[in-house]
Amino acid sequence: MAPNIDREAEHIKEKARKDLLALLENVRGKKNLVFSRDLPGIIGLFVGFSTLKEYGVEKVFVLENGNTDSSQRNIIYVVNGEDPATVQAVAGQVKQLQKNGNVEHEVTIAWVPRRTLVSNKILEDEGVLGDVNIQELQILFLPLENDLLSLELSNSFQDLYLHGDKSPIYLASRALMQIQQRHGLFPRILGKGHNARQLANLLVRARKELDADEANTPYTTMPSTSIESLVVIDRDVDFATPLLTQLTYEGLIEELNGIKHNKAEIDSSLLGAAGQSRPSGAGLATAPSTQPSRPTLKQAVQLDSTDPLYHQLRSVNFALIGPLLNKVARRLQTDFEGRHKAQEINELRDFVNKLPTYKEEHKSLALHTNLADDMTKHTRSEPFNRSLEVQQNIAAGTDPIYQHDTMDELLSRDVPLPTILRLLCLESTISGGLRTKDLDTFKRAILHAHGHQHLLTLSRLEKMQLLQPRTSASALLLPVGGGSTITSTSTTGTKTNYGYLRKELSMIIEEYNEQDPDDISYVYSGYAPLSVRIVQCILQKSYLQHLHKSPLPLTPSSTGWSGFEDILKSAKGPTFNVVQKPTDEKASKAKNALVGSGGWKYVFVMFLGGITFAEVAALRFVGRKLEEGGQRRKIVICTTGMVSGRSIMEGVIEKKGLGSGIKVDSGAQV
Amino acid sequence: MTLANPRVGWEKIGTEFYRKTTLYASTFDSDLDLENYHCVGAPFSGALALWRDTNKVTRYRTGASNKTSIDIYSCSGKLISKLNWEKGSIQGLDWSEDERLLVVAEDGTFHVYFGLHGDFHPYSLGHGAEDIGVSSVRFWSHGFVALLKNNALVAVNSFDEPRPRLLAGAPEGEVHAWNLIPPAHTLSRSVEALLAVGASVYVLDVNEAEDRGLTDGPFKHISVSPNGRFAALFTEDGKVWVVGSDFQNKYSEYDSKAKTTPNQIYWCGNDSVVLAWEDEIHMVGPNGVAAKYYYDDIVHVVPDVDGVRLITSESCEFLQKVPDECEDVFKMGSNSPSSILFDSIDLLEKKSPKADENIQRIKASLPEAVETCIRAAGHESDHALQKQLLRAASFGKSVLDLYSSDEFVEMCETLRVLNAVRDHQIGFPLTLAQYSQLRPDRLITRLIHRREYLLAIKLSEFLRLPLNKIYVHWASQKVKASGGNDENVRDVVVDRLKGKHGISFEVIARAAYEEGRGNLATSLLNHEPRAGKQVPLLLSMEEDEVALDKAIESGDSDLIMFVLLHLKQKMPLATFFRIVNSKPQAARLIEASAHDQDKELLKDMYYQDDRPIEGSDLLLEEAMEQPQVQAVIDKLKLASRLLTDAKDPNAVMHTKGFAEASVLLRMQEAFDREITDSSGSYIGLSVNETMFRLVRSGYGKRAAKVQSEFKVPEKTWWWVRLRALVAARLWGDVEEIGKSRKSPIGWEPFYNEVLGAGNTRLASSFIPKCTNLKPQERIEMWVKCGLVNKAGEEALKAKDMNTLEQLRDKATGPQLAEIERMITQLRPRR
Repeated sequence: MAPNIDREAEHIKEKARKDLLALLENVRGKKNLVFSRDLPGIIGLFVGFSTLKEYGVEKVFVLENGNTDSSQRNIIYVVNGEDPATVQAVAGQVKQLQKNGNVEHEVTIAWVPRRTLVSNKILEDEGVLGDVNIQELQILFLPLENDLLSLELSNSFQDLYLHGDKSPIYLASRALMQIQQRHGLFPRILGKGHNARQLANLLVRARKELDADEANTPYTTMPSTSIESLVVIDRDVDFATPLLTQLTYEGLIEELNGIKHNKAEIDSSLLGAAGQSRPSGAGLATAPSTQPSRPTLKQAVQLDSTDPLYHQLRSVNFALIGPLLNKVARRLQTDFEGRHKAQEINELRDFVNKLPTYKEEHKSLALHTNLADDMTKHTRSEPFNRSLEVQQNIAAGTDPIYQHDTMDELLSRDVPLPTILRLLCLESTISGGLRTKDLDTFKRAILHAHGHQHLLTLSRLEKMQLLQPRTSASALLLPVGGGSTITSTSTTGTKTNYGYLRKELSMIIEEYNEQDPDDISYVYSGYAPLSVRIVQCILQKSYLQHLHKSPLPLTPSSTGWSGFEDILKSAKGPTFNVVQKPTDEKASKAKNALVGSGGWKYVFVMFLGGITFAEVAALRFVGRKLEEGGQRRKIVICTTGMVSGRSIMEGVIEKKGLGSGIKVDSGAQV
Repeated sequence: MTLANPRVGWEKIGTEFYRKTTLYASTFDSDLDLENYHCVGAPFSGALALWRDTNKVTRYRTGASNKTSIDIYSCSGKLISKLNWEKGSIQGLDWSEDERLLVVAEDGTFHVYFGLHGDFHPYSLGHGAEDIGVSSVRFWSHGFVALLKNNALVAVNSFDEPRPRLLAGAPEGEVHAWNLIPPAHTLSRSVEALLAVGASVYVLDVNEAEDRGLTDGPFKHISVSPNGRFAALFTEDGKVWVVGSDFQNKYSEYDSKAKTTPNQIYWCGNDSVVLAWEDEIHMVGPNGVAAKYYYDDIVHVVPDVDGVRLITSESCEFLQKVPDECEDVFKMGSNSPSSILFDSIDLLEKKSPKADENIQRIKASLPEAVETCIRAAGHESDHALQKQLLRAASFGKSVLDLYSSDEFVEMCETLRVLNAVRDHQIGFPLTLAQYSQLRPDRLITRLIHRREYLLAIKLSEFLRLPLNKIYVHWASQKVKASGGNDENVRDVVVDRLKGKHGISFEVIARAAYEEGRGNLATSLLNHEPRAGKQVPLLLSMEEDEVALDKAIESGDSDLIMFVLLHLKQKMPLATFFRIVNSKPQAARLIEASAHDQDKELLKDMYYQDDRPIEGSDLLLEEAMEQPQVQAVIDKLKLASRLLTDAKDPNAVMHTKGFAEASVLLRMQEAFDREITDSSGSYIGLSVNETMFRLVRSGYGKRAAKVQSEFKVPEKTWWWVRLRALVAARLWGDVEEIGKSRKSPIGWEPFYNEVLGAGNTRLASSFIPKCTNLKPQERIEMWVKCGLVNKAGEEALKAKDMNTLEQLRDKATGPQLAEIERMITQLRPRR
């Protein structure tokens, strides 16, 4: 039997933990640890700081801070080696350590997730390769939840669409390969988009490489019996969704505060009594030596389903959070009041035993009430509502021209740049670009309002095809569904035609039951994310048929993309379906017969370029519907990282200004 | 069938039995004068390395080459290969656990030979070894420590990526003897060296040298037991001490009564010590009792994991403690169950009823007896004895009701393997213990290195092990050895390997390349599925573009970057760009990485590729780093110059943006000079921010100038001004503006912003101007200002009874009366 796929997340976590601790154990004695920027948070997902201490770690540093001291003889670098600049920085620091300090340091470098040729070359060129121990710490997928595996690459979106650096795809293929090595081949790889296609190619290729590497496991020669398929969605098939403001509780926390590696930095004034209850998780990120205390006190709060209340709240539309919290508060109250009723000693004992739970619950309730309250301040503000209105109108397909006045006003009123850029990009993606005249006006207005340095910001957005002029040429290329003469010969769309897909896939649900939603569109209050609709084309064919007015070419036994091929031609990039055949047909058949077909089947859904929390909520919703419908299928969500309009814009917006380099001495005249 | 006496060569030392068995007779060529050679053997009955002892005078033979060589022999004396050695005096030579040969020269260079046929990696010890010189070397399975002539110790912990490291400073004085404790057996998990200096022994690791405080030295030899727990010391007066490796306890002592110091002392297993002179061997058991063996000629001792091999010109012998199972079965007068079982076979063959009687007698312990016989069979090298023991086991188990035959079957398989490799032709006298430590896959690897492909394949099939490595090794040899034209060789190889799994064509291609057959290598490499393997080889073959293509195909950015770095270093920039530009994925990687590290490269690239806008963006980035306004403006000028010929709208937008930015900076510079309030510098603010700040500080005129200079739209200007005035609470100015007849942004924002700042009076003044709003909205606006009666009037005008009644609830005092009045006024008269 293949290893239990239910426990995959646990297994991954456990393995990462073991590998890291083994690495620490191999270096005898006390040691200092140096992480590259993103790693403390990532490591915090599977091991606590106190555990590191037990393994002899004295101090933790962040590479980029450059403040690594030489207080310990042993220094371990745990560093992401994919980026040459980081490697260079490590080489520089090692050289520095060798030069100063009277102790001869014992330096170990653990490259995450692998030792690269480039890192070897750089270390060699710098002349330190021979002086350090080199290891690998293969951390690829990390479970954010049991059904959510993420590579936690913070820049995967920019890498793929701005820099054209395909490493996220490659790393994704490695991570998925590990799953295949443990559970067998994905019997079917379905996907949409250019990068998705490339990922599938890499997976097929990796299978051959595995053979030559003799890394074959008993599972890599035949299709898995526990996995049904892998569905790969390229983010650029649906750029619009992340540009919209997410309206689930978790999504809004991300939009307003940002969530990184399951932690959000929350203003400590909001934490109040709750602040002490959930101290900054593993404490890795706030280890005293790594970060000087910041003026605005923020605290990292762990947000995951170990908190039962959060588990309950995260996927709910924000409009419902108030009532829900209310209900929980009441229940807690009654439960707590129950102590008065306790007469017998054993009843009292039961109560006392439950006390810690109450306490936990109470703290968590306080935290989320404060958070929700703070959020409401935002969601009630006029600019927020105006921009939301614009978003919804554009998404619903009204002529964006009518929104321009509002957008203009928002610009003049100095709303944050990300907000306005999201609106513009949204319009551009959904309606296939802005009229050149409008685009120019907006660009000028942005430069005036936020500074000329944003010429760079705008260039980047254009490069990513998030912001484009609607030239006649690109209007022509805008595919209009299966019947179009232009695209009928190829399945490759060059741009996603939202107008057509909105109708065909019923992406706008005008009226839905807010209390007990019956469609994924609740996550954006009426807009169903295209990305998830595409997944539904595979998993919930009859549901989509039910929404669709006219009959689709569907049979009850349709699998893969069938029934939706024509519709999906209007989305960007190729639509494909790869069946992975066993190396040994007979053996596989025999095995299948042995296992039978009664068990749960898993569908892995991989989002390349990142997924939003709202989409995660939507996919979980789909998963629940499948389960309720009696289909024994479960969804495991995989991604290169979590993404949102906020994080996209943060990565794109130029942070320096034209006066950045100038030392102000004129101000000193005062 | 007459059995050889199983007790031949047994010797009782104290309470233990030892045996010396002859593995091979007539081993070496009689011309080879072993006396003049050093001899070191690989563990697990591996190969022997012989090299000439330069201290011995040798007879000059005509025709014999006097080049130094290291000769590799099998245990049966079969020459495997001759390695040329040109690095001068050999100060240390030994085998690693995986049969790699390590040779350390006096100047600190050391070679790691792999594959037994002269392929090697050269390394150097560093730490001044080349000047000081290496005095001697001690090895362990995965590393070694070299003693330099100044008593410095250099440790190498791995043969894959050797990193020589200096151990702590050793004490001054002559080192009489020294040895090491392998890292696996020390507390610190790093290697420790034991140095006999003066009368004591020092223990050294990386950090410190510690005197163990012994007083009975000097010690002429130190040897550490295989499990690292004991050390044997040889004193000047001919005594052997066995002590704990922490030098706390002395376990036994033996007086050799020898006048001369033995050449070497070795451990035989973990409980006995072998002293070796030229032609005499003392075997010292646990309690200081010894057996002595004398030879006519020189004898070389080769320690192994479970005993020692004794190599002489005539034979190869093995000296070990008799395994417990063998002792159990064969000991003189033994009446153990296994012994009785073994004897019953004889009786059975004679059809004597006593056979059954015996079995019945030991029935209770029969399972153990069977097991012992099976294991004993494994420990015997004589085929007849093996058979007899197995027969006994088989007989025993046939009597048992329930017995799993797994062990029996396994042993039979193992013995077939062992007997096959023990053959004189192969020369691998593996014992069972060695085999189980070595493991089958590594045995196969050793066979491959000896190019015993057929046997390797046969054994692999028998043991169900993968065959790929054998094929690859074969193919590599084929490629190296066969002349023929490239196509033929390729076809032969590819044909033979077709359909086989796990074939690394890279290894084969590399062999071809090293043989100087580049074309053959390239065509073989096409069959390699792993880009990670193809690319480095292609690069070393200077097939740069192919390498880049393969790297891109792999999708692995690391590989692509690796190739690009390589190409950039060796090519002129223009050629580099020409190659890169035709490959978009590579180009974008260069862009991304150069952006952080090498902006100049990127500028060149954009220039060559005719991408002026991106070039100008780079200059804009540089502008933002300049320390003076003038410098910023200069950079901006440079940036727009790049765009002079570009015509597309985006370029125009950029040019305009640069120009505006420069003008703005100039203006801001002026503001900084003229305005000296505490609001800080204007430089770096955006146009709107500049206007905002000016208005807020009360410089409305200047702000208006900015507006006209940059043609800021009226709407924007009105908004900015409004917000700034409200922020500064300049109500008078707001009121002044309110006197205008029309506002491009309507009057509602005025109401909202002013109200937001808390000035209800002023806010309310804008309500009447909001003529385009519905009455209901205006009513609300009034209410928000606290003017319920005004709201009432509005409602009255709109004849909205409902609202009036609602207002009544909100109203107090005189307002209430007012509202009441309005309600009555509106109430239809009856």
